Amino acid sequence: MLIELSGVSKIYNQGRANEVRALTDIDLGVEQGSMVCLKGPSGSGKSTLLAIIGCIFPPTSGKAAIAERQLARLPDRFLTLHRRETIGFIFQRFNVLPELTVLENITLPLLPLGVAPKERKLRAQELLERFSISHRAQFPAGQISGGELQRVAIARALINNQPIILADEPTAHLDTTLSREFMEIMQQLKATGKTIVIASHDPLVFEHPAIDRTVTIKDGRIHVP
Amino acid sequence: MFLNPWSLALTLCSLVVLVLGAIAGKTAVRVLRFWEPGSDSNRQIRLENEIWLSSTLVAYGLGFQIITLILFVLAADQFCQVIVGAMCATGALLADPYGMPALLVKLFGVFFYGFWILLHQLDIRSEHYPLVRIKYLALLLLLPMLVLDASLQTLYIAGIKPDIITSCCAVVFGESTGGGTNLMTGYSQQGLLMAFIGSIVGLMAVGWGLLRRWRSWLAGFYAVGWLWFFGLSLVVITTVISSYVYAMPYHKCPFCLLKPEYHYFGFALYGALIPAAFFGASAAIAGLVRGKVGLAGVVDGYQRLAVKISLILLVIFSGLSFYHYLKYLISGGEG
Amino acid sequence: MAQTNLEKQINILDYALSSLWRRRMKSLNVLLVFAAVIFLLASFQMVTQALSDKAKQVLVYTPEITVQKMSAGRQEAIPLAYRDKLARIFGIRRVVPRIWGYYFDEVLLANYTVMGMDVEEMPEGSRLDTTLASGRMPTPDEQGRVVIGHSVKKALDLEGRTTFSFFRPDLSLKAFTVSGEFSRDTDILTNDLIVMNLADARDLYAIPAGMVTDLCVYVANPKEIDTIARKISEALPSVRVLTRPQIQKTYQVVFGWRSGFGSICLLSALAAFVILAWDKASGLSPEERREIAILKVLGWETSDILAVRFWESVIVSGLACILGITAAYIHVVYFAASLFRPVLMGWSVLRPDLHLLPRMAAGDILLILAFTVIPYLAATVIPAWRSATVPADSALGG
Repeated sequence: MLIELSGVSKIYNQGRANEVRALTDIDLGVEQGSMVCLKGPSGSGKSTLLAIIGCIFPPTSGKAAIAERQLARLPDRFLTLHRRETIGFIFQRFNVLPELTVLENITLPLLPLGVAPKERKLRAQELLERFSISHRAQFPAGQISGGELQRVAIARALINNQPIILADEPTAHLDTTLSREFMEIMQQLKATGKTIVIASHDPLVFEHPAIDRTVTIKDGRIHVP
Repeated sequence: MFLNPWSLALTLCSLVVLVLGAIAGKTAVRVLRFWEPGSDSNRQIRLENEIWLSSTLVAYGLGFQIITLILFVLAADQFCQVIVGAMCATGALLADPYGMPALLVKLFGVFFYGFWILLHQLDIRSEHYPLVRIKYLALLLLLPMLVLDASLQTLYIAGIKPDIITSCCAVVFGESTGGGTNLMTGYSQQGLLMAFIGSIVGLMAVGWGLLRRWRSWLAGFYAVGWLWFFGLSLVVITTVISSYVYAMPYHKCPFCLLKPEYHYFGFALYGALIPAAFFGASAAIAGLVRGKVGLAGVVDGYQRLAVKISLILLVIFSGLSFYHYLKYLISGGEG
Repeated sequence: MAQTNLEKQINILDYALSSLWRRRMKSLNVLLVFAAVIFLLASFQMVTQALSDKAKQVLVYTPEITVQKMSAGRQEAIPLAYRDKLARIFGIRRVVPRIWGYYFDEVLLANYTVMGMDVEEMPEGSRLDTTLASGRMPTPDEQGRVVIGHSVKKALDLEGRTTFSFFRPDLSLKAFTVSGEFSRDTDILTNDLIVMNLADARDLYAIPAGMVTDLCVYVANPKEIDTIARKISEALPSVRVLTRPQIQKTYQVVFGWRSGFGSICLLSALAAFVILAWDKASGLSPEERREIAILKVLGWETSDILAVRFWESVIVSGLACILGITAAYIHVVYFAASLFRPVLMGWSVLRPDLHLLPRMAAGDILLILAFTVIPYLAATVIPAWRSATVPADSALGG
């Protein structure tokens, strides 16, 4: 199991008037090389779950092991160190920095790792070619088309060769063609052995044949129909 | 004498450092009171963030401390132009009782900041943050030191009374010759040099021994050796090395070395000596926290690195120290 | 390990540069104001420094000890007979009588410095000839011969002629012939100077025979200046004894005081700038928050973002220093500190066409850094930390 959650709960602002129980007692296991969709309406807690899997914050209680490492009681710094080795993130709206070039955007995760510029460029070019956007390398990311943007975001999630890809509502702002293209790329990545978790309530995603399992989240719990 | 740019700059820097220190101190108190490892409460998240604030403040503090240390010596060098009987910074620092203590406290401050940063760097390498309490208790000790530093400096500046020609009588019959020009007298140069060379050889031998096989009692010995060597070097620089640099047998001053007339030689000399002593002593200090959870490997790595750095700097320092001396011996004094 | 760390700092520095460039309007604002503050401080420092250097140069030529007679707290003529009393003090090399005064030209409204002394009597009298651009120094037995400085020549319009006249106190005219001219290299000393022999000066000011304005005492061993000064003061109770080191120290104090005073005035400018810097650094736009959150999700630590902010501050400070100090140097050297002239003129030392050449030692630059960069870094550190602790999860969701 690459991702293993048992009894995970997350409570925001614990002990205060604005206490929010975002997740309750989640058990989830994801095997290496599989593709899982977290389904649920907005506010259901799937973003929180994704953040815990993505080592952005630890759970309030329960055990969460990502790539064989327990997240509970881990200070922020070590979550970050673990995250950059294991997790590739694809954001909603892709979250590129529009004024940086495509190349700079893709290599952002490599800067704090101390990767030299030459090496950075080499690794990025490989990915740019793989996603056929080499001709856009020196363009500001704010000036390229939606389809290219999506591939830039995916390339950025792969640059450090992380085993897990997390995507947060990736198709929410895409048309059908691009959504299909996105899922095709995910399918290819799955075939190379990546573990993929997508949070989405888009049928184009959770009904896609490459999805091994769909987990429905409702009011912070896993919903069993 | 506050109305002088050097005094003003020093005072301004002290104020800045005090403010930063106070903020770091506030963080320290909060961390000591509320630190709850493993909790994900908002307060704990805030505290984890505040760790970065305090460490950044201390790092800035170290930078500022080094700058004010240099500034203080240069300021004394400026002050000597207005004090009767002071030929250079030494005289100006000895002109009132607070000069030397202020300088020593500043120098001690550099080491203190350095050791704190070392503790912090070791601490954040372990996911348990095992040194949090020690670290922030030490940070609380920093505050009185900053206050002491600022007070001594202020007293020193206030005590400097320039001699101005008054209209009634122009001559101030100060003790114009002799006293206040030399820091130390009465040491035998030969004996000092022998001790100096002996210490260098001894430190190198111990350092080499440590690198071959680590023994903690030897590391302790190495640290004590460095403290001894640091003090000895200051004496040797003052009484022996400096006069060869100046090419003047009676000019014995550890500060004029920093002046452009001598190609800023002092910066290289002290720039090698101070970090060398820091790393030499820090290996043993890091050893003290080796037993904490998750630190053994990190500390071992650091200790070997620190000993290596201190040895390299020792070689550089020895080369610099003997450069002028040997030049003098070989060239027969001129040139 | 060390290699990666260095590489990482370079990467972060690189990112900081590009980040400054992306927010260039905001950065430029801070940079220009910062440079202006540094410019003011550095100019002030350079002017006072150059002036104090000049003063030191002037003082090299003054005698080790000057003896003047005081009466009712004011200076008056001193009898030449005092020379004999001084001669008995051991350690004095030579005593040279001198008449030092000012002559105000009512027609041209100019002030000249008049020095009457017998040049040969000075220990290094012969050396003075080398300071002349043309001619030679007046000898004691030549009447009405003078050597003049550059601006005297200009004021009296002496192109093409060599004679001019001054009024004695009783309004009779005394004629002079120019026998030499000082070279422009010594302008600081000789620009407004007229040198004549003792007899001519006594005649011009109608000083009784056997009197001069001061006695210059030259000492064999400079280390004995204070001892000899004390002996003089004991032997001649009614005189004022000025020693060269004493004058030097007084100048130092005055210049130090001046530049300290200037610094205090400029501290308000500094304070204003620090507030601006704080304000600019803490105003975090939604785009900047988003950027930091994205970086954090992508694996940047809090300390990495802090490092970005630190490098940004260092780059801004560095550029501002280069700009400000260069501008200050140009201002002082090529524009003779014209901005500060109204302030400094009132304190008299600056003569109109004084050429200032400040020397900036590393220490002076450090002083300026301490005044400007340290407060700036301190003012930006807390906003930097605030921005670095933007939580990563704010990049998720909506």
